[in-house]
Amino acid sequence: MVLRTYVWLYLLFLFGPLAVITLFAFHSSPALSFPFEGFSLKWFRAILDDPQFLAALKNSTIVAVAASVLTGILGTLAALALPRLPKRSLATFNMLTFAPIALPGLFLGIALLALFERLGIYRSLWTVTIAHTLFTLPFFIETVRSRVAYFDASLEEAARDLGATPVQTFRLVTLPILFPTLMGGMLLSFALSFDEVVITVFVVGEKNTLPFYILSMMRRTVNPTINAASVLAMGLSLASLLLGGLFFLMQRRRAQARRAENE
Amino acid sequence: MRWSFPSFDRRQRSGLALAAPTAVFLVIFFVVPAAVLLVYSFWISRSFQITPTLTLSNYLRALGNAGMWLSMWNGVWIGAWTAVFSVALSFPVAWYIAYRTRSNAILYAVLLSWFSSYLVRIYAWRTILGTSGLINSTLMQLGMIDQPLSFLIFSRTAVIVTLVHLFVPFTLLLLLSALRNVRTDYLEAARDLGASWRQSFLRVVVPMAYKGIVGSFMFTFILAAGDFISPQLLGGREGVTTGLLISNQFRQTGNWSFGAALAFILLGVFLFAYFLVAQSMRLGRLSPGLRFHPTLPTQEKA
Repeated sequence: MVLRTYVWLYLLFLFGPLAVITLFAFHSSPALSFPFEGFSLKWFRAILDDPQFLAALKNSTIVAVAASVLTGILGTLAALALPRLPKRSLATFNMLTFAPIALPGLFLGIALLALFERLGIYRSLWTVTIAHTLFTLPFFIETVRSRVAYFDASLEEAARDLGATPVQTFRLVTLPILFPTLMGGMLLSFALSFDEVVITVFVVGEKNTLPFYILSMMRRTVNPTINAASVLAMGLSLASLLLGGLFFLMQRRRAQARRAENE
Repeated sequence: MRWSFPSFDRRQRSGLALAAPTAVFLVIFFVVPAAVLLVYSFWISRSFQITPTLTLSNYLRALGNAGMWLSMWNGVWIGAWTAVFSVALSFPVAWYIAYRTRSNAILYAVLLSWFSSYLVRIYAWRTILGTSGLINSTLMQLGMIDQPLSFLIFSRTAVIVTLVHLFVPFTLLLLLSALRNVRTDYLEAARDLGASWRQSFLRVVVPMAYKGIVGSFMFTFILAAGDFISPQLLGGREGVTTGLLISNQFRQTGNWSFGAALAFILLGVFLFAYFLVAQSMRLGRLSPGLRFHPTLPTQEKA
């Protein structure tokens, strides 16, 4: 009972501050403190009239789509490789794919900045996309790892024995089974990229991403337009996350249904 | 002397081919940049211009500077307390999820909060702790204080509170996966053999969940000690960390070589901290001895 109360307090600690931010996004006065004077949508109107905000929103969407597609392609290949790799190579590969998220984003940011500068690559949304992929790919691989471990390799072998080419096997057997997991991983990557700012500050060019723009707003002032921008950003990234969660649930339902059928 | 080439079967060869694009991507954009950075740390640079002269001066300058040591201490202090609080606050919740409930609702809620915006959560604490923030303005309206409490914001404490909030879901997930390995059978066996609650916790749970506990502590420590945006926005003058100095070198001052040297010193500190934590767990007899669960992969013959 005590433990249960504690768990509720813990959740309150996690969500309380976010609730406060959301509440004041709807405040009719510019004050970010109580007493609460009434509801208004004016901060949302203000932020949606800000062309820079809209441009940043667009840039972030482009980057997040590009990064999650790139992550999806590389990550799917990597996931297929996991059960096939020789033991030693697997250990090296696991270390390589996990290392980027075992370090603070700061390290990735400065290292990439040094590389791009060395190669004479101008900073643009491309460099941001590469940086984000470096950050989302390890998450993608870790998410699909356990699903791939339980993948029934005999299904692929059966397809091959029945005369399917490797590409056919992948398209007709492997992909349909792994699809929900891969989709979930990609939506997770989208959410992570959409929110990323620590690495971004080093590799961003003239075009802002949304979190980077919010960071610059935070440096300038404190007023409820930041709250409105935050609520919008958070809402979009949570929406993609919930969609990803739905895919995971779908996959689990299907797996359970199949198991029930077999029994 | 004869060299034997490893021979791979067809399946393994296809595995290597499938892994290749990711491996190449990570080598180009992770391993090579790290190497570039390492080389830079031994070169000289000033206002974004780099001269390839081999020198130790960046490291010597960093290590001979009192401000650098202070920032390192700040980062370690902030990281360590963040990790301590994150693990301590999350452990009971991980316990609850692992043993006391079959529903996943709490887990999903925690996951959701982990992915709600990083920046927004920093901003939230600035709103709450600020000079005219929620706590101060409420206390002043209630007449409990005349002037805003200035220690709430722009201090190491403010940074720690924020970082705990940022990293606690992450710590919880790592702890939870560690506890999931400790099956209740072991706990019941310990109880049946007469162990007290304390004994079964220290002698069964902690050693078996050892990797996860140390792992979650260390990851939280490293990520928190290396975070520079929270110290920048909430740390004030007191909360300047090495991470923030590194970021300033790269974004404002433009002495990249010095910044790179600082980064590698920080990395060394992280490795040293890991060694310390692992050693103290061993000395405290909280790490697994060989007699525990003989199926652990670490005990397989190499």
